[in-house]
Amino acid sequence: MPSLPRAIARRFCLIAFVLGVLQPVTAEGPSSGRREFAVPQAGRVFRFPADHGSHPEFKIEWWYITGHLVSDGDQRHGFQATFFRRAGEGLPTARTEGSSTNFATDEFFLAHMAWLDVGTGTFRHEERLNRRGWDARAETGRLEVRNGNWSLKDIGPDPGGRTILELKGGIQADLFWSLRLRPEKPLVVFGTNGVSRKAKEPAAASHYLTFPRLSVSGELRRGDQTRRIQGEAWMDHELSSSQLGEGQVGWDWTSIQFFDGRELMAYRMRSDDGTTDAFSTLAWIDKTGRVSHWGPDRFQWRGEGQWKSPRSGGSYPAAVVLTVPDPEGRPGPTLRIEPLCADQELSGGIGGVPYWEGACRVLDSNGREVGRAFVEMTGYAGNLRRAL
Amino acid sequence: MSLRTPTQVQHLLWTRVSWRHARGTPWTTALLVLTLALGVAVYLAIRLANQAAIASFQNFTDVVTAESDGILLSPAGSLPESLLTDLRRSFPDTPVHWVPVVESTAVEPGDGTSGPIGSRPTYTLLGVDWVALQNLAQARQSPARRAASTLRPPTPAATNTPAPSLDESALWSRLQDPHAVLIPAATAARIRTPTLRLVIQERIVELRIAGVIPEDPAQPKAPDNLLLLDLPALQHLTARPGQLDRIEFVLPEGADRPARAAELRRELGDWVNGRWILSTPSDRRDNAATMTRAFRLNLTILSLLALLVGLMLVFQALDGAVVRRREEIAILRSLGVEPSRIARAWLWEASALGLVGGLLGLLLGWAGAQGAVRGVGQTVNSLYYATAVRSAALDPVEAAVALVLAIAASVAAGAWPARRAAATPPAQMIGRGRAQAGTAAPPWVLPGALILIGVGALLTLPPPLRLAGGSRISLAAYGSALTGLIGAGLLAGLLPPLLIRRLTAWGGLSAPGRLALSHLRKPTGRHRLAIAGLVCAVAMTSGMAILVGSFDTTLRGWIERTFMADLYVSSEGAQSASTQNRIRPETWKALLADPEVVAANVVQALELQLPGGSTLLFGGNPSFMRDQARIAWREAPADDAVWDPDRNQGLALASESFSHRFQMHRGDTLILPTPAGPRRLTLAGVFSDYGNERGSLVIQREHFAVWFGDELATSIIAQLRSPDRASEIRARWKDRYPGLAVYTQGHLRGEALRIFRQTFAITDALELIGVAVSVLGLGFTLASLLWERRNDLTTLRALGFRHGEIAWATTLESLVTAGVGVAVGLLASLGLGWLLIHRVNVQTFGWTLETDPPWLWMAGLALAVLAMAALTGWSIGRWGAALPAEREE
Repeated sequence: MPSLPRAIARRFCLIAFVLGVLQPVTAEGPSSGRREFAVPQAGRVFRFPADHGSHPEFKIEWWYITGHLVSDGDQRHGFQATFFRRAGEGLPTARTEGSSTNFATDEFFLAHMAWLDVGTGTFRHEERLNRRGWDARAETGRLEVRNGNWSLKDIGPDPGGRTILELKGGIQADLFWSLRLRPEKPLVVFGTNGVSRKAKEPAAASHYLTFPRLSVSGELRRGDQTRRIQGEAWMDHELSSSQLGEGQVGWDWTSIQFFDGRELMAYRMRSDDGTTDAFSTLAWIDKTGRVSHWGPDRFQWRGEGQWKSPRSGGSYPAAVVLTVPDPEGRPGPTLRIEPLCADQELSGGIGGVPYWEGACRVLDSNGREVGRAFVEMTGYAGNLRRAL
Repeated sequence: MSLRTPTQVQHLLWTRVSWRHARGTPWTTALLVLTLALGVAVYLAIRLANQAAIASFQNFTDVVTAESDGILLSPAGSLPESLLTDLRRSFPDTPVHWVPVVESTAVEPGDGTSGPIGSRPTYTLLGVDWVALQNLAQARQSPARRAASTLRPPTPAATNTPAPSLDESALWSRLQDPHAVLIPAATAARIRTPTLRLVIQERIVELRIAGVIPEDPAQPKAPDNLLLLDLPALQHLTARPGQLDRIEFVLPEGADRPARAAELRRELGDWVNGRWILSTPSDRRDNAATMTRAFRLNLTILSLLALLVGLMLVFQALDGAVVRRREEIAILRSLGVEPSRIARAWLWEASALGLVGGLLGLLLGWAGAQGAVRGVGQTVNSLYYATAVRSAALDPVEAAVALVLAIAASVAAGAWPARRAAATPPAQMIGRGRAQAGTAAPPWVLPGALILIGVGALLTLPPPLRLAGGSRISLAAYGSALTGLIGAGLLAGLLPPLLIRRLTAWGGLSAPGRLALSHLRKPTGRHRLAIAGLVCAVAMTSGMAILVGSFDTTLRGWIERTFMADLYVSSEGAQSASTQNRIRPETWKALLADPEVVAANVVQALELQLPGGSTLLFGGNPSFMRDQARIAWREAPADDAVWDPDRNQGLALASESFSHRFQMHRGDTLILPTPAGPRRLTLAGVFSDYGNERGSLVIQREHFAVWFGDELATSIIAQLRSPDRASEIRARWKDRYPGLAVYTQGHLRGEALRIFRQTFAITDALELIGVAVSVLGLGFTLASLLWERRNDLTTLRALGFRHGEIAWATTLESLVTAGVGVAVGLLASLGLGWLLIHRVNVQTFGWTLETDPPWLWMAGLALAVLAMAALTGWSIGRWGAALPAEREE
């Protein structure tokens, strides 16, 4: 099955709770008009670098970077940097008249930053929510997203013509990183003809753009100390205007960067009856960047063991065993994805939905490390259905 | 009796002498304790009320941010929103939360009638970005707290998000509602309605209560009058788009936060480069404290005087006790008790009295503070800043200070009586002892009194002490008042013999009369002390009355000259100097377009920070002021340019308070900071103004509007075509704009006077307490004297004097003593009044007043004191006449 609603689903769901509740304007509240949003169209021709920027005609948009880094002294780290944009459906008439664009209520920006020190097992994260305005915005026509002192922007092509991105993020005043990201493989557009459907309804679809492998270099500032860091990252950019379907209780997702130069992305939507949703999918990206998609009948996702969060009380699989088809569709290897550190749960302080998203190693059936991964697991803590 | 140890002796002295007497004369003891308690109570009440009023100045943002690390303010007017973008651009990577804030005030709408101004509670509206507050909550959690919070499920309470106690999603849904408001839990419990009708600027707005301001033990409790709105909503409601009142900044927690904050403040200091003011929450609190320092000091001095007068009473009472118990002391001496031990017993008694009186005073003071705090709060609200303080907590430090003060002062007051007690000769000598005979005053009294009065006169000359923030305190003038009063008191004690010589020459005196006067021919030290006490109390009360009377006269004149227009319009929310409710331009322009309006003055105002302190800048129409108000000039303009809008761009008129505060006069120049850049202004004239003590600067309104990009008016003063239709037009305007307060000339004049008088209510009460205590002191003195004269009284009775005649003699003695005190006190009050009017008032507030002593009131005071003295003398005389002779005891 070619459509890839997982990516939309997983990221959308996180902000749905946070921002979706902004939607209802109660009976005694101000009157509002219904805002129309764009629906992803097949055959859309993307123009870069402009399409790396924001698309306000879509309701939901995010830029999602995860990666593995090594700092001076061979210290291993995992990091996550996510910028969400969400437009409101109900536009208040009273407020918008002559109101300041510095404190807009028509768009909100949520951001998550997370950092893992593998050596010490320390996982830190921070969330941030701002309205569109002076402290949070996403430019159109070029990639420049900001949320407080966190930012992601396209700083222009390198001499070889490759896009260079700059990511600045941090955790409170304790950590601050400034990274340069350079795509090592071409941009991938998931889905059929540029549209990734996520549910039965035709409008429930997204444009899903991914840099599956970016080289990363930069600096990590920790107090007075600054260290050089480098590594590899994965970046999603997705735009959509649709909602999730009923009957889903959560999802699991992974992106794997194999040491041999290939990548794999897979997710499964979990239904309330315990089955895997039909819109679950798996995609192989070969060394040249060519993508092949596989439906849920061709791969198997199985959780192993259990890790219980001391904060949320949620019980997450301690590891994931993924049986995948090979790129040609034959039964492929069984991969074991193990967290570099058990506790990589984001507590959902602002979003209200705790979820696990962390750096992992990938082992083949012989126990040999064959790649690095990021795994996301939602719906294991809190009532995601109610939040949605 | 076997006394073996000093402790036992002391214990015996305490139980058998001091305590037995205290029990034996319960009413006297109670009166003494009560008087002391009253002195302590007045002192403590004023201190607590002051403290509560100061503490009520709150950086309201603290409620949602805890204390921020710094604040950016505009020296005049608002901050532009664009400053936020500039800050983010200039500090792109700095981990800091910039917290823009808009603040305003509102009141509940009135019933449309012209009620008293300032009678309705004022709400503070705080506009902060509700969305960004979520981030702040995370930043403000210490690592330890973050760790602690992670041990619990992430409920809103555990994660310390400022989510209201109602369903969180309801809060979010209210984000897009421009009328959504969060209110304190206490207010929610009180009003129990889903909406809150308020006057914001000049409009009546119905705010929808979206939730309750969350409370966090780490953050200050939300004051009852605080309402929290989303920032753009408040900007919209107050018609101030794009304007901010301040930007606070909050750094994430961490061990090095103070260092990071200092570093950021340093960088910001360079960045603002004088365009904006970089401050801190503690600076703001200090400013508020500085602003009201002179006012609070005046009250504290008055309250201390009440305590001093109380102590004089303790002194007189203890002294009287020494007299009454002389026989006992003498017996103790003859039993071998050393004088030092007797003195110590007396001091113990004094300190016990101080302790009991002090403790009772704490209770009374704390209770009194609840009343005083409203008075102090009302004055602070009228003159300085918005406060809704309604109660004063019993501060342990203030309570301890008051208690220590009570004990220490009691011991000090008891020191002289203790010495006299210790000096009491043994029993065999006093058997033949006589009452203390009158003596001539010690030779140092006259020169001492004259020197004190001379020093007092010299102390009227120095200038005031200037404090940070532009406040001034007339320290020398207070010193002058103190030395002058003591001098006058001493001098008054010398007068009775002179007076008696003349009176006794008059042959018409009856025998009791002659008897009374004979006691005053050579007055005792106690007589002199009682007279001095009365001089001080009467002088202070009457001096204050002269100040208030003169103020009243001056203000009435000023009000009549100033308020000559027909209608005065302001927002109904403008309840005091501290409220920020103003009138939108579309509203005031509509009023001006009324065909009945022939001339009008549109007044705009803002707080201005100048080097040296804060003041008020008004935009108005100087020529309207000239034509419609008879300005009393301190320094009149030298030419006509200031009246002409085309020529007065660089000119300003200053109030007298401004002139004193900033030491500037006609022709001096100052730099006015405006969002449109600094403007140089020359003072064209200085006028009398009693509206505020911080000073006012008046410029042409049109220039004000351009320089500050603001057209919201503070008030509109209208001259009508038909002044006799003022009430009708008022009703019409009120009908059309229910959120406006429209006052007729008569009503406004009455209100101005009422508010002024209300600010003096506290001082009046304090002074009356002082007078009452002084008369009580006179009573104690007379009682002591009669006790000493018990043998004489027996002899008099044997000679055929009836009780009534003895009482009449005592009454006369009391009357003459009080008469001298009152006469000298009234004379001294003229000097004190002059000092208060021409030194303290001018130096502290910058207000020149016409001197107009309230003669009738002063006469009334004299009569009241004399009547009280007569009554006291008569009662004590009756009591004395019935005393048993010494040998009968």
